[in-house]
Amino acid sequence: MSAAPPDNDVLWARGIVKSHHGTPALRGVSLGVREGEMLAITGPRGSGKSTLLGCLSALLPVDEGEVWFNSSPVHTLTRAGREKLRRERFGFVGSEPHLVPELTARENVALPLLLAGAGHKAAYTAAGEWLERLDVADCARQRPTELVQSQRQRIAVARALAPMPPVVFADDPTAPLHREAQDQVLRILASAARSHQLTLVLATHDPELARYADRTVSLVDGRLSPTAVPAATAGR
Amino acid sequence: MYYLRLARGYRGLDLGRWLLTTGAAAVVAAFLLRSVGRALSDPAGASFPRLLWCLPPLAAVAWFAATAARALPAQRPERIAGLTAAGAGPVRIRLLIAGEIALACALGGAATLLLFLVLRNDIAGPSLAADLGMGIPLPAAAPVTLLALLPLVAGTAAAGAVRFPDTLPGRTGEPDPTAFAPLRLALPIGLTLIGLALELYGLRPGAAQDGRPIDLPAGLGATGTAVLIGWSFTALGIALLTAPLLALAGRLLALGRPAPLRLLAGRGLTAQARGLGTPLAVLALALALVLTAARHWTSPSGTAEPLPVIEGILIVGCATAAVTARLLELRAARGPVTDGLLRLGTPPGLLAGAVALRTVAAGTVLLLTGGLTAVLATAALT
Repeated sequence: MSAAPPDNDVLWARGIVKSHHGTPALRGVSLGVREGEMLAITGPRGSGKSTLLGCLSALLPVDEGEVWFNSSPVHTLTRAGREKLRRERFGFVGSEPHLVPELTARENVALPLLLAGAGHKAAYTAAGEWLERLDVADCARQRPTELVQSQRQRIAVARALAPMPPVVFADDPTAPLHREAQDQVLRILASAARSHQLTLVLATHDPELARYADRTVSLVDGRLSPTAVPAATAGR
Repeated sequence: MYYLRLARGYRGLDLGRWLLTTGAAAVVAAFLLRSVGRALSDPAGASFPRLLWCLPPLAAVAWFAATAARALPAQRPERIAGLTAAGAGPVRIRLLIAGEIALACALGGAATLLLFLVLRNDIAGPSLAADLGMGIPLPAAAPVTLLALLPLVAGTAAAGAVRFPDTLPGRTGEPDPTAFAPLRLALPIGLTLIGLALELYGLRPGAAQDGRPIDLPAGLGATGTAVLIGWSFTALGIALLTAPLLALAGRLLALGRPAPLRLLAGRGLTAQARGLGTPLAVLALALALVLTAARHWTSPSGTAEPLPVIEGILIVGCATAAVTARLLELRAARGPVTDGLLRLGTPPGLLAGAVALRTVAAGTVLLLTGGLTAVLATAALT
């Protein structure tokens, strides 16, 4: 369209409008995410954080506006194209671990790698390494129901990071955890992102936790709050 | 009134459950009223065996009611959450679900009673006169007592089947453990082996002189004591073995270095074996029995009576509906996991393929268990 996305933005959105069954969730959000940065999106519950993450991560189609990933349009992709993009380019950690209950921790972490077409041995080796990095290597053969919530959430983090996607989305990843575990999980996410040059987009309702990020934008009632730096212009 | 208001918000699935329950209850009520009619026309006759004949379909309706009631909280979590928010505790929710099933049964029974009374009014002609007890005054207590049985039995079964943890909002039920206790495996294996030995003893070459003292109902001929007891043991053992066999099939499916399709299908089958085992075993047993009987009826020497045929259809129908209810329950309970998998970018085709593969594996197990039961039943009849 009129403006092509800037080159140094790995993700770039312009004027996203999205509503759920008539309830407006996003009313024109423009945002740029630079490569390798850790961006926090803060805002109270119901401010549209999850919807914004869904639109950026190719889960939800936008009603209006544009989303670009690495200078290629996401908003025009078909359903299958969006699935492929999520499978091969994006990682996701939600507020609930949503692990597959009948698979062991290691199989859960290896699953996205297997889905992306990795070999059996490579996938399981990588899964084992990531479990070790996240300090849950001793749970590798256990099923999610045998573990405690903080262990499950770490496995979900390992599952998102194991395929080494260029962009990782984290939607309130610390919501079900205690204070202590919250810091731990975020530290792990942040350090993994930095050491592997991953881009991390973090949504959180807790401004305290946004301190791990390089940059923070806040969302109120589906719009970027005027107090925050308008990200799309700041990126240029 | 309350039920009617709830029912106004019902959609296809709930209405289907209502219609099935009502329809099945109407057929069972017809059996019960026929036994009343027969008893009126022939007071000296054997009315107790006729009442016994009504038990299998009654049990089938209760089984479907129980499975459907158990599936309800998982299928409609928002309704349970709404009722809880409105102040209904677990006991009241249990009563509401049981009451709904009982009401459906009562409606079916009432419809049949109405038909029975209209037909008795001299319009059925002589062909049905004996079944309806035409021309003989009907004591009001008889049909009322018998028809009250239906909602009572189905409602109690439904109330007993609702699982408490599922009725609490925000709590997802813990999945069943996948391993089976040694006794849970040893008992059905032992039963099957003892049953097989007994049946083979009853069928040994020199067994003809033992005679066949037990007369089977529904024109199925006669059979020997050892054969019948042996077959019952084997059928029970095989039915109890269905769940472990499903779990084993799942393990075999995910053997070696499985690709995502085999991994998800196999592990999923192992995880659901406990939940699926019972309804599938009941369906396999019912099908094996009804198909064996049908084969006997259609053979040159056999004759088919309409009542056992209707009973057979009703029982298989209820067992099938119970399997459907359990499948819907499992699918609803798996909703968040499926969403999580789709979030990862799992192609929906892969998930559908896993379901198909799981269905094929479960179908193979059922063919095996049901087929063995049917073959042994055929051997016991001839």
